[in-house]
Amino acid sequence: MVHPAIEISGLTKRYGVGDAAVDALKGVDMIVRPGEVVGLIGPSGSGKSTLLKCLGAVIEPTSGRMSLAGETIYDNGWKVADLRALRRDRIGFVFQAPYLIPFLDVTDNVALLPMLAGMSNGKARDRARQMLAALDVGHRAQAQVPQLSGGEQQRVAIARALVNQPPIILADEPTAPLDSERALTVIRILNEMAQRFGTAIIVVTHDEKIIPTFRRIYHIRDGRTYEQAGEARAA
Amino acid sequence: MINLAGRDILYGWGKFVFTGLGLGLLVGLTLSMAGIYRGLVDDGKVLLENVGADLWVVQRDTLGPYAEPSNVRDDAYRTLLGVRGVAEAGNVTYLTMQIRHEGSDVRVMLVGFEPGHPGEPGYLVAGRPITRSHYEAIADVKTGLRLDDRIRIRRHEYTVVGLTRRMVSSGGDPMVFVPLQDAQEVQFLKDNDALVNERARTAANPAFNRPGVPGLLEAVQASQASSRTVNVVMLRLAPNADEIVVAREIRRWKHLEAYTRNDMDEILVAKLIATSAKQIFMFLVILAVVSAAIVAFIIYTMTLNKVREIAVLKLIGARNRTIAGMILQQALGLGAIAFVVGKTAATLWAPIFPKYVLLLPGDAVLGAVLVLVICAFASIVAIRAALRVDPATAIGG
Ligand SMILES: Nc1ncnc2c1ncn2[C@@H]1O[C@H](COP(=O)(O)OP(=O)(O)O)[C@@H](O)[C@H]1O
Ligand SMILES: [Mg+2]
Repeated sequence: MVHPAIEISGLTKRYGVGDAAVDALKGVDMIVRPGEVVGLIGPSGSGKSTLLKCLGAVIEPTSGRMSLAGETIYDNGWKVADLRALRRDRIGFVFQAPYLIPFLDVTDNVALLPMLAGMSNGKARDRARQMLAALDVGHRAQAQVPQLSGGEQQRVAIARALVNQPPIILADEPTAPLDSERALTVIRILNEMAQRFGTAIIVVTHDEKIIPTFRRIYHIRDGRTYEQAGEARAA
Repeated sequence: MINLAGRDILYGWGKFVFTGLGLGLLVGLTLSMAGIYRGLVDDGKVLLENVGADLWVVQRDTLGPYAEPSNVRDDAYRTLLGVRGVAEAGNVTYLTMQIRHEGSDVRVMLVGFEPGHPGEPGYLVAGRPITRSHYEAIADVKTGLRLDDRIRIRRHEYTVVGLTRRMVSSGGDPMVFVPLQDAQEVQFLKDNDALVNERARTAANPAFNRPGVPGLLEAVQASQASSRTVNVVMLRLAPNADEIVVAREIRRWKHLEAYTRNDMDEILVAKLIATSAKQIFMFLVILAVVSAAIVAFIIYTMTLNKVREIAVLKLIGARNRTIAGMILQQALGLGAIAFVVGKTAATLWAPIFPKYVLLLPGDAVLGAVLVLVICAFASIVAIRAALRVDPATAIGG
């Protein structure tokens, strides 16, 4: 059988200690299959970013379990030694803002990831150019970051998230700064990529325009998740 | 892997270059300071070399003639010539004074010497040695005098017949060489009024003006008027003579102090310019601290401006080493720019310094190493700040 790309059960996260403690996650359960794009929706302060940070191995959860492609990475404690390599090789990040590196050109912004993983500059740039072409920004490969429009920057950021072909991508409000047309384009691209590379993608959003595009949605409220079939499937 | 530091420098090169320029001028100042010190030492060496003496004989218990005043009777050289191993002797006087030339005052060190004897300037860049025993002068080019210029020293006019280079006193005053007797007249002889006064005083003293002893008064007056001294007697030794032995002989029997070339080196470097050297060293320390503070501040602000990028780099899996390396390389790059600017500036402005500035390649290498070390240290604060950046901040709230 095929393992789910992401499997989370009973995950909790408490910030701080004593009176100042905040229980940001109180029991999260979630399953995402390869090639699936799911929405994660919830009001501000409900724990969306916290969940992505835990899954992205940027902060440590308090308890629970997380596994990627059947491999347990967290079970009341980290089960992988090199979290940096885990982030680099198995997880792609897309943020609300593109956060491109301004002193690198578009190609090198994307090529940096395979380079950090030890790939030669030439190969890494080839790979980056392919990915940029796949995202329809191949013609901007030589440009400097400030010359790009917001939508183009966000596509470059997606190319960067995809370039190492990680099995999962975590996107935190990736369409927030975009108008609805561009927002839908970004979602269409994420869907295409999921299909093409079998990537599991979690998109955090409260963008009304794109919510209807998800086949499956997780609602998060007060640190707990509730699954809901999306409109896209119903339609 | 691409060089992140280099890309960042190219991206913000304006800021980088201007900071490098500013820092470079500080480095240039530092190198010039070191050069001035080297120049002082070298001036002393050239001075000692150029007079062609093996021994300097000065007044007992003094560090004369350069570091302390010294007076030796001008006939002492005769007995010195009698010491075994002494080949030649020359009387020399030194006097710092102002001379007038073309309406402006020049501060010089007036040197009286005996042509053909030790103490004569060894190397002329133009003109000829002094041949007449009066009213000819050899001047250092630093005085601004040219051949055939006429200068007025006290009551007489002198013609410049030769020019020297790098002949300056330890205070940096260029030298003017004149025949010994002229110099002595300037330095020791009293003016006419003083002479008349003194004669009258001697005549009024019953001890010297005795009616029963004819000629006594005249003899006393003559001795008073012509009692002459010099500041140093320079000796050249016979080829096989040991200067240390000869110096010891002179000290023991002649009631005079004798210094070898090494002794004079020691006096000039260790005693005379020791204060200047300390002062210069203080400046060097202050400049180093100021430079370090500037580099630290610049690199730190540059790093704080990149917190977001650093968080992203960490999130996508860049090692701490990669990020620390980027900051360190930028600091070193800044140092390298500063050093190149500084070395160029120091070389360009060295000739317009009033004092001789000697830029030694060894000092430049040492300076480069020092600049890089300072930059490396200055980047520590920024590196620590960068390593504290939490990759979670890239994801945001
Ligand atoms: N570093 C932190 N320290 C303490 N509390 C935090 C921290 N980050 C988030 N929180 C709290 O955790 C809860 C969930 O925050 P977050 O995951 O950012 O929510 P969302 O992204 O859904 O707006 C909020 O109550 C927030 O105040
Ligand atoms: Mg959030």
